[in-house]
Amino acid sequence: MSVSETSARAVPRSNRLVSILIFAVALALIFTTPFLPNYYVRVANSLLIYILLGTGLNIVIGYAGLLDLGFVAFYAVGAYTYGLLASPQLGLHLPFLLIVVIAALLGMLAGILLGVPVLTLRGDYLAIVTLGFGEIIRIVMNNVDWLTNGPKGIARLDKASIFGLPLATPVEIYWLLIVVVILTALIVWRMEHSILGKAWAAVREDQDAARGIGINTTNAKLAAFATSATIGSIAGVIFAASQRFVSPESFSLQESVLIVLMIVIGGIGNILGIVAGAAILILLPEVLREFAEWRILFLGILMVVLIIIRPAGIVPRSFGPDKLLRGLFGK
Amino acid sequence: MTLIFDHLRKQYGSHVAIDDVSTDFAPGMIHGVIGPNGAGKSTLINMTAGSYTVSAGSITLDGKRLDGKKKYEIANSGVARTYQNIRLFDQMTALENLEVCFYPTEGGGTWLEVLWPPYARVRSARRRAACMEILRFFNLEGYAGMEAGSLPYGRQRMLEIARALVMNPRVLLLDEPAAGLNHQETAELTSKLAELRSPDRIMIIVEHDMDLVMTLCDRIVVMHHGKLLFQGTPAQVQANPDVQLAYLGTSNDIDEIRNAAQNRRTELRIRARRRS
Repeated sequence: MSVSETSARAVPRSNRLVSILIFAVALALIFTTPFLPNYYVRVANSLLIYILLGTGLNIVIGYAGLLDLGFVAFYAVGAYTYGLLASPQLGLHLPFLLIVVIAALLGMLAGILLGVPVLTLRGDYLAIVTLGFGEIIRIVMNNVDWLTNGPKGIARLDKASIFGLPLATPVEIYWLLIVVVILTALIVWRMEHSILGKAWAAVREDQDAARGIGINTTNAKLAAFATSATIGSIAGVIFAASQRFVSPESFSLQESVLIVLMIVIGGIGNILGIVAGAAILILLPEVLREFAEWRILFLGILMVVLIIIRPAGIVPRSFGPDKLLRGLFGK
Repeated sequence: MTLIFDHLRKQYGSHVAIDDVSTDFAPGMIHGVIGPNGAGKSTLINMTAGSYTVSAGSITLDGKRLDGKKKYEIANSGVARTYQNIRLFDQMTALENLEVCFYPTEGGGTWLEVLWPPYARVRSARRRAACMEILRFFNLEGYAGMEAGSLPYGRQRMLEIARALVMNPRVLLLDEPAAGLNHQETAELTSKLAELRSPDRIMIIVEHDMDLVMTLCDRIVVMHHGKLLFQGTPAQVQANPDVQLAYLGTSNDIDEIRNAAQNRRTELRIRARRRS
């Protein structure tokens, strides 16, 4: 049996049906949402931003197996980059795309800066140090008043635009997010299947054995931190551009925990899982808005139930984008 | 050019695990390292592969110092190893376990792979072909798509050796490759290892299975209490009274060595079964 024979194995009918259904529902949702009232579009935007954040953090947690609890720091870096470079705060009004590039580079730099000192740590120790890093960034933003306006935040951010195309209304931001999320998911998915993605998996499975086959684990982990931080930072820019306001309270520890929960509940290491996890954790509180003081309880119960019945997440690692695509186009 | 241990020493606090060992390993041969439990056999492997640091002395390969280098650097200078307790990447498929070995040489091209699919296809097809060939050699091609952790114990042992061979290493260190294998699997392993003998390759096998060591090895190094007790051909080792004494106390019956090995094999098998 050769490799080509194994990969060309017939796709089971049920798999094909599920794939087509998922794809159809996704397409329908993508194209109907912009015609709904603004409230729904705003919820969708928030969902898409969390999917973007989850996709980024998943590289570190799901692929490389490093529990990072300070991811929100990179989100903050991106948001404040936009806040400072496109507002009256410093009198700078740089174009949106240029800021995206600057924020991506700053995010990458922050990822490496965090990565270098914590690379020797694993598990609980890594989680605590990254948690601290996330809080440090928030507290710094809160206290360097002369630069960030402290807890009052930076208001009146510029309306974003790309080549004269305005990106200010929720619907415009929505389309930007759809494009960015799909592009990011594609790139991250291809990274997972690249040789670097395999090296990440090896680091996750057995770091010492990975070194034994010649993997420079420091470099592999730094690449994971840097890529994930870049995505987090870009999400931050879009968040700032859509709110046109940034303040430290958007970047609390709860945000980091929420993104980790999305990944764990949805399915670690699986982009489709992140979409599912984000949908539950972002949409459910909206649906349960009327039961305001009860919704944390609902969420808690849901989480306990999910962890009992689906410990590997709602969408297991085995049902990834490859399977979905094969179900759609496979022989 | 060879792998040379020069006055090698490993010390933990006041305990000396390896004491002034000097020897060398020539290519084209299979070298066995034997000795009672705690003699320092695995420590030698772990120091060579960079898992343990060297307390004193040196390890040189083809004139270049290995000791003091990082573990991954040692691996990239042509030293591959297996572990006493199998250490595969359990949640990756058998094929992926081998493919990932290309990261040190091809990892730099990751961005091109991500952004330019045709390039990725060509490279990954080439990697797969190379890895499938090795899997086929070990009769593992049927397991290519299965998670390594779900393979039967004997196949996992084989897969670990296959992984060590992907980069065509100059030095192949096998730490108890037959541990936990049954007779049939051990026979298969013995014949495969014999085929791996090549003029450029230095093969070192730490093993308790005397049948395997005596049939396979061209030269045997006997360790005892961290010291090098004797080195020579299998026949010389079997005839040497010091070796017999070290292994057996007073008796000079080679059958007792075999019994000891058999007991250990059973023990490991039970342990392996408990694990899975």
